[in-house]
Amino acid sequence: MAGKAFADHGAEVIKIEPPKAGAPERLRGPFKDELPDPETGGLHLYLNTNKLGVTLNLETEKGRDLFFELLGSADILLNPNMPTLNERLGIGWRAMVERFSRLIAVSITTFGAESKYRDVRGGDLIATQMGGVGWETPVNQVTDFATQPPLKPAEHQADYLAGFTAAAAAMCALFQRKRTGKGQHVDTSSWLAMVSMFRPAVGIHSHEAANAPYGVRIRTRAKLGVPWVYPCKDGWVSFSPITDRFWRGTKAAMGNPEWAESELFESLISRATNHDAVEASLIDWLSNENKQEVFKKAQAEHVPCFPVNTPREVAENEQYKARGFFVEHDHPAARVVRMPGAPCMFSRTPWQLRRGAPRLGEHNREILGERLGVSIDELAALKRDGVI
Amino acid sequence: MSLPFEGIRIADFGWIFAIPHATAWLGSLGAEVIRVESTVAPDLVRFLSGTDGTPGINRSGIFNSINFSRKSLALNLMRPEAREIAHRLVKVSDIATENYTVGNMKKFGLSYEELCKIKPDLIMLSGTPLGQTGPYAKTVGFGPTTQAFAGMCHLTGYPNDFPCGIGGTWPDFAVGTAMVFFILAALHHRDATGEGQYLDLSMAETVTAMLPEAMMDYFLNWRDNGPIGNRDPAMAPHGVFPVKGDDQWVAIAIADDEEFGALCEALGVPALAKEARFSRLASRSANVDDLENEIAARTREFERDDLVRLLRSRDLAVGPVYGPMDLMEDPALRDCGMLVELEHPESGKRIVPGLPVTFSAMQPDYQPAPAMGQDSEQVLGKLLGYSSAEIARLRDAKVVI
Repeated sequence: MAGKAFADHGAEVIKIEPPKAGAPERLRGPFKDELPDPETGGLHLYLNTNKLGVTLNLETEKGRDLFFELLGSADILLNPNMPTLNERLGIGWRAMVERFSRLIAVSITTFGAESKYRDVRGGDLIATQMGGVGWETPVNQVTDFATQPPLKPAEHQADYLAGFTAAAAAMCALFQRKRTGKGQHVDTSSWLAMVSMFRPAVGIHSHEAANAPYGVRIRTRAKLGVPWVYPCKDGWVSFSPITDRFWRGTKAAMGNPEWAESELFESLISRATNHDAVEASLIDWLSNENKQEVFKKAQAEHVPCFPVNTPREVAENEQYKARGFFVEHDHPAARVVRMPGAPCMFSRTPWQLRRGAPRLGEHNREILGERLGVSIDELAALKRDGVI
Repeated sequence: MSLPFEGIRIADFGWIFAIPHATAWLGSLGAEVIRVESTVAPDLVRFLSGTDGTPGINRSGIFNSINFSRKSLALNLMRPEAREIAHRLVKVSDIATENYTVGNMKKFGLSYEELCKIKPDLIMLSGTPLGQTGPYAKTVGFGPTTQAFAGMCHLTGYPNDFPCGIGGTWPDFAVGTAMVFFILAALHHRDATGEGQYLDLSMAETVTAMLPEAMMDYFLNWRDNGPIGNRDPAMAPHGVFPVKGDDQWVAIAIADDEEFGALCEALGVPALAKEARFSRLASRSANVDDLENEIAARTREFERDDLVRLLRSRDLAVGPVYGPMDLMEDPALRDCGMLVELEHPESGKRIVPGLPVTFSAMQPDYQPAPAMGQDSEQVLGKLLGYSSAEIARLRDAKVVI
């Protein structure tokens, strides 16, 4: 994801993969019709847009030599290996920063290359559950501790977030290099990235009294207050009725029913105190409403409300279509593929799909051959020896 | 020591969570962030939680933990005179950030088109629920409500169960982190070409861009698998299991058959790994309910930290499930430099979470969150050239408030 952010915004990103096996996301799918193929997995096609692909076996000396030659002209190295592996291969950040003084060496691991836990096994689930986000999920919907354990968000949010964190941090180091002429090590961690999603709880922990309402909230997962999502007639909606303004809008959207005028719901505090009653009444109203209709109705009254969309509804909604969010391209191995496009629209340097995800070793000849000067015969020998 | 964004000034009209999180990165790394806010329409986060049981506009623990390393200029943007002040501020700024509902900045006379006339190479980022264009551009929403639109809530939940809201007020801070990258990409382009630009960020689209597995499955197979809890298509067991104590849990992620064998051995049930229903990943996935019940029956017998230590000694991926209280006790977190103690003018010495990254050759400069309007005098006088008499008049007229 970090490399994709750079590649999609115009950097030349050379993805280095082990020969034969390729990068692990190639094997993860989702695959069309469940037919595994390292060139056509959905995750690979999405995450590796706009990148060049070379293979290098870093376990071999020749592979490492070519890797170092590539680093000689690189600005940024994105390295997801565990520190012990890097050190064994002689590509740890200290060695790299010493040898390539302008290089920004970015470590992206679960705990951080300099952490007390640097050698501890991790991954997305561990980062999420140790980072507080799992504990707080689902928000205000936990009614039975035994059957509703702390929950991770969909897919691999800790990993994707670590990618954006590493991309942002690498840019910060790039700007520092403009001033100093020197690169540095940038240590990022999916765990700490998750912890930084949890900053309200950290702030409450350090500021608030244990028995104040927020102090109580950070001590239990129990349902305390209103959730963000509610059932309606044909599915679910998200809804935020709590502030005075939103409550007025909610009442208007509901057609100003009599019960809503009760003093139980008069103020922000009374609504917070009587959240179960607020919720019950709201659900009662929503049970006769369709989600796309209630979205429009509530938004007309300026109340934050959205349909809980399925992937199909996400893919087909008018808003994304009008903005051209999903893009389509003709990939040589996967044929026509649709996928999410620009997460942010730049007016002058727009997000572009310049090339699809590379086939394994697709640019060996261009990068290793033409750029580094490895001859055709040598490339054949390297291939035979399992270096590329 | 120099920091990368020294000399860069940000006129920050943002509020709530996403933009303040983004500008905290830039402010901590040397940018001069000037937060434009007012007591007339204050950030509601200033009233979420307090300090030691007492709320107050400058006492919110949540606000203080996000809005560090910036100044505060108290300006009532709904007053026409405020427009001139904001224009002067933008004229001497490099970047403007905002996340008002679409249309508000225009109402304040602060749309990109207008600001561009004042500062042609301005970089401006607007973060809104669904973006600046399209039939639903004018929707109002916070990140947690907006992500429902993006597919996140439908896909998060216990298997075949209700859709869920996500902790950490997801996706506000994740979007804020992405914003840092987008702003810096635009700044990099300006450095190279002298051109500014407008960044139109839709929170929903950023969230959907982080859901590639479900979206690609839909586009390749027209399929929707719905929520799968803590499970993973390529690992089993991959979940959260109970340990001794009240609502205490560990997370375990088992990558292959060999690791499963090691797990069963550590839990004292080596025979489990040999059973046909569990011996291969495919069979474990097919019998995942039974698998999870068997594992849970064993993990219940352990203290959390004992089990974590035991499984880590076998090089397995395991971690304690942390709520805020336990998280703050974690030795690696306490040690890594991310938690910093700042002396806030009203709240006193408090821990706030700094950037989730360590740079080997620079140290972020963390300054406590500002009290409302604490820098109005300095910004209006020294930076924008208003005289003391003018500032006093602006205060009397409730423009600076």
